[in-house]
Amino acid sequence: MTKKVKYLLTTLSDRTKFAMVSIGYLLRQPKYLACFIVSLFLFLYVLSFFKNGSSNFLLLFSGISFGAKMELLGKVVLDMFANFTDLYGLLIIALSILQALTIMLLVFTWSHREKEHAIDGASTGSIGAIFGFVALGCPTCGISLLTPLLTAIAGTGAIAAAEDISRVLIVLAFVLLIYTVIKLGYISFITISTNKYKEKKYAKGN
Amino acid sequence: MQKAIRAIAVLLIVGFLFALIIYNNTNPGKSDIKVWNEAMTLGDVETAEHIFYDYTDIMCPYCDKFALAMDAHLEDFKKEYVEEKKVFYELRLTNLLASYHPDEDGLVANSTNSAAAGYCAADQNKFWEWYGWILKKLDNDYFSKGIGDSAGAKQRVPKLDVSYFTKVGDKIEDLDENELSKCVVSDSTSATVKKWSQKASKIVQSGLPYYAFNSYVSPGFDGNWEVEHDWKNAKTMFDAGIASKK
Repeated sequence: MTKKVKYLLTTLSDRTKFAMVSIGYLLRQPKYLACFIVSLFLFLYVLSFFKNGSSNFLLLFSGISFGAKMELLGKVVLDMFANFTDLYGLLIIALSILQALTIMLLVFTWSHREKEHAIDGASTGSIGAIFGFVALGCPTCGISLLTPLLTAIAGTGAIAAAEDISRVLIVLAFVLLIYTVIKLGYISFITISTNKYKEKKYAKGN
Repeated sequence: MQKAIRAIAVLLIVGFLFALIIYNNTNPGKSDIKVWNEAMTLGDVETAEHIFYDYTDIMCPYCDKFALAMDAHLEDFKKEYVEEKKVFYELRLTNLLASYHPDEDGLVANSTNSAAAGYCAADQNKFWEWYGWILKKLDNDYFSKGIGDSAGAKQRVPKLDVSYFTKVGDKIEDLDENELSKCVVSDSTSATVKKWSQKASKIVQSGLPYYAFNSYVSPGFDGNWEVEHDWKNAKTMFDAGIASKK
């Protein structure tokens, strides 16, 4: 049993290192760096928009003027930077970074004919992203999407349980996203190494 | 084919969950009573064109962000919304945080005692003065320091003595402090807090704060403790409420 756990931990540690190497490599490529930055911006924007539950969303579809709606959308950009100032914001940033890394690695694996792995990664990553999206915030403060979801299913009595469920979901979101990043990062590492090997072999052959 | 079905299933589930969130946010339970407590209102319910209800708990930091902005601009609100736009506004005070966190003694006591003190101040027709005072006190002592029941809060507010909510000193003219202290611990006040909180629990479906401005309903408040910023956001919500009147 201990041997098996040791083996698993060693494998995980090795794969994490390989994944880090491939992420570093991809981030030095302008195409993938751009993909990472755009995804990061998009996720940070969406998570900041829903940072206070559905209040911004409801305002956007309310009867306020068009100008006020545009102002609301612009304000979210400022909120994105305000995330750096508190603990809750840092959690949003960490989730956004993991999601952006997942997208970048998905694009790389998909474009290198590793479609099966890409689909697996996309499924796990999506579940992680949904968990993170729903569970962020403070459920009893009206600023989490989890509470209305729970009360719709189980009634207002479920609000008391929302905070515990939210904590579990946030942990699951991180675990799933980190797992996806390591898995796709490791596959990317193999792909990158294989391509480099082939390039060298081709260069020698010529 | 299998992958396409899987993708459609995921999309359907996500879409269903989102629809559920929005449906539940926009279809609250209805209040059958127009006014809960006359002393916690602004405007005239009989002649009002717009009815705004604000469900709150004094120990809820997000509620208090909104309330502090309101307190700082109370005269503007009265002029611009109550007089000009014929808004009737009622603050519906609850101890719902106590029912959300029944195992946290400190929060249960603070939430219940603060609500009780609010109803007792209302009995003396000094609610708005007392409310402004306690909001600033809590903000100064705890919420502005990141202590309270909020996202990313470092810790909870400790269990406070009842006197925290009643020792007003000479801060509020004509408020009988002794009467307030006696009233807070009385059975009838406990019953009042319980009654209104139970009513609120049937309406509030997404935690506190909870706003029902005409048919525009919204949980939570997007504030940052900067009064002018928060007042601007509060006004956007008032405008959404006014625009929602069918």
